[in-house]
Amino acid sequence: MLGITKIFGAVTALDRVDLEVSQGAIHAIVGENGAGKTTLMRILYGALQPDQGTIEVEGKAVRFGSSREAIASGVGMVSQHYGIIPELTCLQNLVLGAEGGLILRNRSAEARAKSLATQMGFEFEWQAEAATLSPAGAQKLEILKLLWREARVMILDEPTAMLSPADANALFESLDRLAAGGATIILVTHRLPEVLEHCQRVMVLRNGKRIAEKAVAETTGGDLAQLIVGGALERSEESSPFSPGSPLLEVSNLSVKGDRGELALKGVEFGLRSGEILGIAGVDGSGQRELFETIAGLKKPIEGSIVMLGNDARGLSTANRIAHGLRLIPEDRHAQGVVENWSLDENSALGLQRLPPFAKGGRVDGRARHQMATQIANRFNTRHGGLNLPMSSLSGGNQQRFVAARSLCLDPKLLLAFQPARGLDIKGTQQVYDGIREVCRLGSAALVVSFDLDELLEQCDRVVAMNHGRLYEPPASLAKDRDAIGRLMVGAQ
Amino acid sequence: MIWRLIAMVVGACAILVGAVLVAHQSPVESLHTLIHGSLGSPAAIAGTLREATPLLICGLAVFIALRAGLFNIGVEGQLLVGACTCAVVAIRLPGVPGMILGVVAGMVAGALWALPAGLIKAYRNGHEVITTIMLNNVAIFITSALVAGPIKDKTQADTATAYVAASSRMPWLYRTPTVEVNFSLVLGILLAIGMALWLKRTVAGYELQAVGANRVAARFAGVSPQKVTMLAMTISGALGGLAGAVQVLAYEGRFYDGFSPGYGFDALGVALLAGGSAYGVLPSSLLFGMLSKGGTALQIDGVPKGITTVVLGMLILIAAAIRYRKVTTTDA
Amino acid sequence: MLNLLVLTILFSTPLILAAMGGYTSERGGVVNIGLEGMMLMAACVGAIASVRFGPVGEVVGGIIAATIMSSLHWLATQIYHIDHVISGMALNAIAAGATNFLYLKLSDPAHGSDLPHIPITIFCITAFVIPFLIWLYSRQTRGGLRLLSVGSDPDKARLMGIQPVRVRFFGLLATGVLTGLAGVELVAYTGVFTDNMTSGRGYIALAALILGGWRPIPAFLACFAFGFFSALRLQLQGTPLFGAQLPSQLWAALPYIVTVIALAGLLGRNRTPAGLGKH
Repeated sequence: MLGITKIFGAVTALDRVDLEVSQGAIHAIVGENGAGKTTLMRILYGALQPDQGTIEVEGKAVRFGSSREAIASGVGMVSQHYGIIPELTCLQNLVLGAEGGLILRNRSAEARAKSLATQMGFEFEWQAEAATLSPAGAQKLEILKLLWREARVMILDEPTAMLSPADANALFESLDRLAAGGATIILVTHRLPEVLEHCQRVMVLRNGKRIAEKAVAETTGGDLAQLIVGGALERSEESSPFSPGSPLLEVSNLSVKGDRGELALKGVEFGLRSGEILGIAGVDGSGQRELFETIAGLKKPIEGSIVMLGNDARGLSTANRIAHGLRLIPEDRHAQGVVENWSLDENSALGLQRLPPFAKGGRVDGRARHQMATQIANRFNTRHGGLNLPMSSLSGGNQQRFVAARSLCLDPKLLLAFQPARGLDIKGTQQVYDGIREVCRLGSAALVVSFDLDELLEQCDRVVAMNHGRLYEPPASLAKDRDAIGRLMVGAQ
Repeated sequence: MIWRLIAMVVGACAILVGAVLVAHQSPVESLHTLIHGSLGSPAAIAGTLREATPLLICGLAVFIALRAGLFNIGVEGQLLVGACTCAVVAIRLPGVPGMILGVVAGMVAGALWALPAGLIKAYRNGHEVITTIMLNNVAIFITSALVAGPIKDKTQADTATAYVAASSRMPWLYRTPTVEVNFSLVLGILLAIGMALWLKRTVAGYELQAVGANRVAARFAGVSPQKVTMLAMTISGALGGLAGAVQVLAYEGRFYDGFSPGYGFDALGVALLAGGSAYGVLPSSLLFGMLSKGGTALQIDGVPKGITTVVLGMLILIAAAIRYRKVTTTDA
Repeated sequence: MLNLLVLTILFSTPLILAAMGGYTSERGGVVNIGLEGMMLMAACVGAIASVRFGPVGEVVGGIIAATIMSSLHWLATQIYHIDHVISGMALNAIAAGATNFLYLKLSDPAHGSDLPHIPITIFCITAFVIPFLIWLYSRQTRGGLRLLSVGSDPDKARLMGIQPVRVRFFGLLATGVLTGLAGVELVAYTGVFTDNMTSGRGYIALAALILGGWRPIPAFLACFAFGFFSALRLQLQGTPLFGAQLPSQLWAALPYIVTVIALAGLLGRNRTPAGLGKH
């Protein structure tokens, strides 16, 4: 791939990126969230078109209009969100889309599947439903899908995200086998130990640019981590005197199951005191989402406890927690934060509908709600055409301003924010964080999840990192050390 | 909004014209018959209002379920069990107590009839469309069996219960030999107003609509979709039962086999055409009442009643399609 | 005894055909409550066509009518993204009204009972063979696998290069053919078209499909069971059972009660296709 450039609106996702991979090698691509790794790969396997640049496969120039065309040229991807359909059998999943004719020859298909599997050291119950597969098993099936379609270039995006160490090792054994057989493997990952142990070359992307490309043998974990997160901050940090108060949130030994039955949180433990803004850093999929939802009351832990604002949160519904002072800025404002068809006025009460002044003894106080809506809209200068217009009339950024402002009203005591400044420019971001800082100064506390480490380092009092479902706190002496936290995030020590 | 109305009217007229032409009838004449038959005289208007009343109450029943994101197709069955229960209770109690108790009994019966569907949807995620339709059929058969046997009035040949005492009947607001308007119409209008206010002005109403509009966001806002589902289905069923009780107490005086000409089914159309506000159910049920009454007049004229049903079906599709277009164009 | 078997076969035939029509639609992810309306249209149009075009016209006319209805359902749900339930109910309403209208207006009442008699055996044999064919189709052919995938997860199917809208189009065409056959069977058997002659069979067929967990053979068995109860009802009407006279309505209500219980999860696990109603 040469000179690949991709621009999404105002954001340059990829800026003249070059990538060269050779046969029989495992090549890693590393970088933070938003660095452009996934975008680059999506272009390679046909889901996206580059604005500029060329792709050559085995010397031939190609242009992939769809993933089908990519597969036809031998390029396939195993994505993080597996394309396995649980209701179908393993065999059916394998052949779907590449059936080889109108009639399915199940017996010969199964024979071929078995031989492919044995080559890789896999084993499958071909007639069993794919729902019975573990995440590791599903991934193996995904790899077999690529082999079935005779892919010669295989892209794996965060393959070990859901795997146990043992499964991950087994996966790499298979990948080695494939590489030995002449396949080309591109590994997109955050996990530096894997890169150091199993890959031959590594490329670092940051902010859409190719920062470095070197042989693994010539670099170290520390080196790479530094390249990934970049140099020291140029921005001056003005840290206001920070003296934390009483504990507002105590999480101990929290374990939560994820959507696919795997353990998404493993023994998470941390505390939050009044006046404090705690940042949770980590790459997407490390368990932040599950942590957020569990503290919000939307998910039940299988182990551990949460003490929130002096109450044992077990058994407290989300509505109860909100009544006690919990506020949420959800990750996806469209799906989780607003009702698009409703007016701004009506949306202003969402989440707060039972609290005065929105409610007056079970009844909705329309006038008060209108006042609150005006306040909320004005707080962060939400640009809108009228409070009675639907939320869908607002741009994404303004919706975010509205949702953020809403979470700060009515005396919040504990604020849970997931990417609170998503989609906002620098000024808007600062406004939101200033607002959060303000309520914390009055005694509240805030938990902020973000994929932007710089943002967290600048705005939060403390930053911890999540990786693979566990929470890591940097030692006190390195409390806000960029390198240290970066290393915790990507699993490098 | 105005485009939607225009498109709907144009579409309906086109279909009406087409069908009527097929029937070798003059479309203008037929339209005239329809309008005259439903609105042309005090008697006609009264008849239209009478048709509209059960449609109004049933429409409100379906409407509130729709606002919560549920399809209650079972209003027909809820109406039947409500009517049957009301008749049984009211027969035994003369006077106003009988009327009140009959209404309450009808509402309770209707609510209970909707309960299984609500439970299955809330806790087992079994689609309420199928369960309510099934319960409809069960209701039809059970009430039919009851009215042919245990609760039948043995002194008469009709497959029906005895008549409810005159003192328990719902009062007439205005009654001449040709024109009758019953209190139940006022009841229906009050219910519509009540529902509109409840949805707009109470926290419970707000939360119910939140679940219907965006289930996930409602959860993040602290609302329990299961509780809302149960509440909505219960209220919906109670209103369906109320419609049945009203039919007994206001118009029929007794319960008999074949009691409902499909009010519950038409109610889905009424609710869908009502738009976003409970107030909309008022004109919508009036429209359906007009088409029903006018359709009868057309029938006398030689045009089969079915044409009005076709028109209504197409109106629903056109309305739904227009709503879809509206949604996508504001998505810029 | 033999009589009971024959009646069972007769009663279950239209149910089986309609249920298989429901399968090709729902297993591909399109909720189809409109089976009732499609059958009704087929019966009516078939009856009308038979007057002019004889038995062949009856079958062809019926199939065309039902297929037009199912195509409208496809258009409404896949192109206009109208809610599947609303579309189905609206189509049922249109069918009910249109058949009421068409029949009374277009056919001469004197000819009403003069419809050509098609040997019912053809329908019965078809009804008993089709479920197995569909089972084979879904297991052994590419089209069958794609139908399953689209109904289980249309987004993931898209990732694999399959177009759900296209697959569903063919699925709904098949629905039209099958429900058309079901509707025509009804008129062919009785010889007349009467207002609302399907009287809920379309819903029962849907219930059978659900009871069968959206699988052809179990759905077929469910239809057979429903047919059996209808036949039993006819046989036992009037004769006392267990010393008391069970009202015939209780028998008639049985299939519906059983469906509700099944949906409550008391009869095995929930097998709803995960992609039902999704784009």
